[in-house]
Amino acid sequence: MFESITQIAPYIFFFLLAGLAIGSAIAVVAQRNPLYSAISLIGVFVALAGLYLTLAAPFIAVVQIIVYAGAIMVLVVFVIMLLNVETEDRRPLRLRSLVPIAVLLAAVLFAEAAFIFYFVNEAPAPPSPVATLNPSSVGLTASIGAGLFTTYLLPFEITSILILMALVGAMSLARRSAIRPTDVVVPGAAVLPRQTFEPARVGDATPVRADTTTEAAALSGLWDRAHEREDD
Amino acid sequence: MDWLNNLVGQTAARGILQLISINITFVVVLMIVAYTVLAERRILGFIQGRLGPNRVGPGGLFQPFADLLKFILKEEIVPDKSTRFVYLLAPMLAITAALMPIIVYPFGPEITIPFTRIAVPLVVARFDVALLYVLAITSVGVYGIALAGWSSNNKYSLMGGLRASAQLISYELSLGLSLVGVVLMSSTLDLYSIVEQQGGWWGLRWNIFRLPAPQVIGFVIYLISAIAETNRVPFDLPEAETELVAGFHTEYSALKFALFFMAEYVNMFTVSMLATTMFFGGWNGPGVATFPALGIIYFLLKVVFFLFLYIWLRGTLPRFRFDQLMNFGWKFLLPVALFNLVLTATLVFFFGS
Repeated sequence: MFESITQIAPYIFFFLLAGLAIGSAIAVVAQRNPLYSAISLIGVFVALAGLYLTLAAPFIAVVQIIVYAGAIMVLVVFVIMLLNVETEDRRPLRLRSLVPIAVLLAAVLFAEAAFIFYFVNEAPAPPSPVATLNPSSVGLTASIGAGLFTTYLLPFEITSILILMALVGAMSLARRSAIRPTDVVVPGAAVLPRQTFEPARVGDATPVRADTTTEAAALSGLWDRAHEREDD
Repeated sequence: MDWLNNLVGQTAARGILQLISINITFVVVLMIVAYTVLAERRILGFIQGRLGPNRVGPGGLFQPFADLLKFILKEEIVPDKSTRFVYLLAPMLAITAALMPIIVYPFGPEITIPFTRIAVPLVVARFDVALLYVLAITSVGVYGIALAGWSSNNKYSLMGGLRASAQLISYELSLGLSLVGVVLMSSTLDLYSIVEQQGGWWGLRWNIFRLPAPQVIGFVIYLISAIAETNRVPFDLPEAETELVAGFHTEYSALKFALFFMAEYVNMFTVSMLATTMFFGGWNGPGVATFPALGIIYFLLKVVFFLFLYIWLRGTLPRFRFDQLMNFGWKFLLPVALFNLVLTATLVFFFGS
């Protein structure tokens, strides 16, 4: 009796984790509070990691948690916390006319999936590089490392360069303010009444035009004093 | 074992034994953690020239139980405007993430149980990616603190939560990089074989001394980032009581506060265990080859030394400022960790066996 339990245990784990993944995925879309959506997405990633574990791929499972649950989602939660995003209101559905087309496309997708499931046994199996390896060591760290640095070295390096490019791009976008000249146009400095620059002329509200911070500082007498101090 | 195998089959028997050993390990660790709290209060008392708790039982020995009873009996308060679900979820996440890594640490070598011929390796789960598993669970531990700070709807909590998340994310990098040196020398991620490899030299071939690349720099970086990872003095900015009341757990009371408190001390314990396992030879020491049971004593002694170090530092050092903390982590610790990585890789490449 118990022997049969050990036989069905993989199925129990599979349906538990798959159910958790699908349930969390639905919750990501259905939740109206963005933070709840983010937490549900973490649930999806953890369930996927569990599925990888049941497929005897512990390395992929752990990397899934480190990269997605531990790094990317922390960033998302951070942004949600910092911006203090409010709960989404239910809005009237735009593009209502497209709903039947969406249903049709979904049906086509399901039909394709069913077709593949039905005919997958009849199609000849493509020669896969994984099949040549010892099946008991496929998901382990050593075999993944050896594969990455021998057979798949070029794709690995190209991916690294791609990620480096993304990093450099993000840096150059974020540093835009430092590349621009420090002499920035300040909107508030454009038009100010005369009396703000010269206290002696109280009541004189004739506008003084200053297009940049430096100009405004020079007009109000701050610039020269700063320079004198530097010279000393 | 045979009768259990016959009763439920081999796989189920293994599962049942695994569950039992997980529970035993958790109970033992939680007891040690409870007494770490007591030891901290007594030692801090000694350092500061006062007595510390000594009323309950001989020398205050039953103080942890009194504390637990008090935690259980206090009123549970949920703030009115908090995000209730997340507020209740956060402490559970914190304690789960703290307890989960314990199962992969090897506490001792293979030991024959007295009066039987059953040999048991003193590790609950031994698997290929144990070290990565520890790092993965550590990185998930951020959520407990971040969500606690956010859901309490209190500005001090939010500040504490943000500080804690920023600090944990920053120091996680140096922590991981400092361990890569050891991984390069051992060429495995399995903690049990990492410990086994440190068995030579009468049990003193620890990774911190071991040729070709003694991991002294790696260990110092690990120690510093581990203290930051556990939010302890001098990196305890997330709960700086002079600035933030109590940081991310300001609004937590009774058992929910106790869970955060326990999570902090369990984290201290696991971080000490990782230091012992990776740099100080785990259960290895003189005489372990002949008397395997000595191994568990050596292991616990080393871990207790690190716990004492934590308490000692708390009694000695003042707190960092937040910008100092970030500058130190990113501009000093991370480059040094990278340098150590390159140095170790070079030495292992030219002089490794």
